[in-house]
Amino acid sequence: MINFDNVSKVYPDGTVAVDGLTLQAPTGKLTILIGPSGCGKTTSMRMINRLIEPSSGVISLDGTDTQSLNRVDLRRRIGYVIQNAGLFPHRTIVDNVAAMPRLLGTPKREARANAMELLERVGLNEKFANRYPWQLSGGQQQRVGVARALATDPPFLLMDEPFSAVDPIVRAQLQEEFLRLQREIGKTIVMVTHDIDEALKLGDQVAVLREGGHLAQVASPAHLLAHPADAFVADFVGTARGYRALGFVTADGTLGVDREPTVRVGDDAATATVGADGWALAVDESNIPQGWVQLGRLNGAQITESDINISGTVAKEFGNLRDMLNSALSSPSGRGVVVDERGVLVGTVSAEAIVAAIRTAKQEVLAS
Amino acid sequence: MTIDWIFANIGRISELTASHIFLTLVPTLLGLIVALPLGWWAHRRRGAYPVIVGAAGLLYTIPSLALFVLLPQVLGTKILDPLNVVVALTVYTVALLVRVVADGLSSVPIETVQAATAMGYRGWQRLWLVELPVAVPVIASGMRVAVVANVSIVTMAALLGIPQLGSLFTQGFQLRLFVPIITGIVLCLVLAVLLDLLLVWLNRALTPWRQKTVTS
Repeated sequence: MINFDNVSKVYPDGTVAVDGLTLQAPTGKLTILIGPSGCGKTTSMRMINRLIEPSSGVISLDGTDTQSLNRVDLRRRIGYVIQNAGLFPHRTIVDNVAAMPRLLGTPKREARANAMELLERVGLNEKFANRYPWQLSGGQQQRVGVARALATDPPFLLMDEPFSAVDPIVRAQLQEEFLRLQREIGKTIVMVTHDIDEALKLGDQVAVLREGGHLAQVASPAHLLAHPADAFVADFVGTARGYRALGFVTADGTLGVDREPTVRVGDDAATATVGADGWALAVDESNIPQGWVQLGRLNGAQITESDINISGTVAKEFGNLRDMLNSALSSPSGRGVVVDERGVLVGTVSAEAIVAAIRTAKQEVLAS
Repeated sequence: MTIDWIFANIGRISELTASHIFLTLVPTLLGLIVALPLGWWAHRRRGAYPVIVGAAGLLYTIPSLALFVLLPQVLGTKILDPLNVVVALTVYTVALLVRVVADGLSSVPIETVQAATAMGYRGWQRLWLVELPVAVPVIASGMRVAVVANVSIVTMAALLGIPQLGSLFTQGFQLRLFVPIITGIVLCLVLAVLLDLLLVWLNRALTPWRQKTVTS
């Protein structure tokens, strides 16, 4: 556990960056620090490994006051991932990851072997191992940054806006993969971000800071959305909070999933089964949804790739209601597509059924 | 008075060339060794940069002949001692390289330095293993300027009678012969080009990691 006890940072010119912060980052959990610029989130994080020295208060790691440790020893117990990765430009990818173990005396061969394993773990192809950082994309570099931070297997991890410098598609992918990795490694993590969606997606708990370095609220993402402590937090989590909160409501068995007639590319339009509204769901040989087809408006007598409308999204069978509703809203037929873990079609669900499920979930929350 | 003069004096010309190389390379290396900590200091302390770099730059304005004549008084050496030349050229090299080293260290990406610090590199580990290797391209380009300048400045020592290729200039002047002068100039040029190429090659060998520049 990382513990902040009444920690402040005041600069010589009187600027208060952090004001009496008391906060716990529980062991094995991911704690997000978020807030507008100037709220002291980065300063707070950097005080943990003493890149910035606190003016007063105590920060402790598993009960040990960080001030009682030598700065270098302290930092070697804490992995650090920064924006833009900050890789060593003069070292190959594998040697970037092996850098710290080598410095601590691990034999070269062993350090490199471990580094290769870590690269595989963060999803980087081994063909990149002997390249230099400039030869990698931003997203790939960031994976290396994560692997490097884990190289000495530190119990703690600090992450300074780790996914903010890459494009949205790569960011979403890195976030998903990181969540999966964290489920395996269970590090005690403090992450700084300015992206509320990222905070709600990744955080086990989210600490919202306001300007002047005050802690406004710390809570789980669902709690933060449902019970913002004040107008600042409510404003910060955004006007879409009602919709965002659905991301934390899981679809249970009560949600009625309907069977959906399907068609395939190459099917004859005349014999195809079709819903009452003229829309049919196209699937491939493995029954994986491809998109929607409007049978009255085909380009030819047979269904082709170009007839498929791919605007609709799919939701996992036991996923959250936000994905379900999104699927229904984005579908040209108005029916959300539900798939199982492998992506195989389960059925479709109407927006009305989802709204009903949301109402039930709300009543359960109020009743409990 | 022809090319025969060169063959007749080939032994002496070789000695002068060897001495010229020695008097150029030793101060260049010593200058780098002295400039490294000074440049690091100038890079490290914001306030120190203008003072150190300014003072170093001022050294370069001292006329070389004056320095050759003054140094024996300061060092207690004889006027003919090559040590005077070595020290004088070291001073010039330091003057050139302090700024180069400071700027080279500043050229290291800030995230790279920050990452090394946060990972738990000690100050000197970070300097040796991260900052200096990454600063090599900038420092090497400064070294190229310094070594070529030194090849030329060394010739001034001929006025004091310290043997190197510059001696061919004074000799040619005294004997009213052109061949020694031309020979001296050509050898100086060749030497400057070769030492420059050596540094280019050394830089390439030390920085296999550099981005290959694509000309568009």
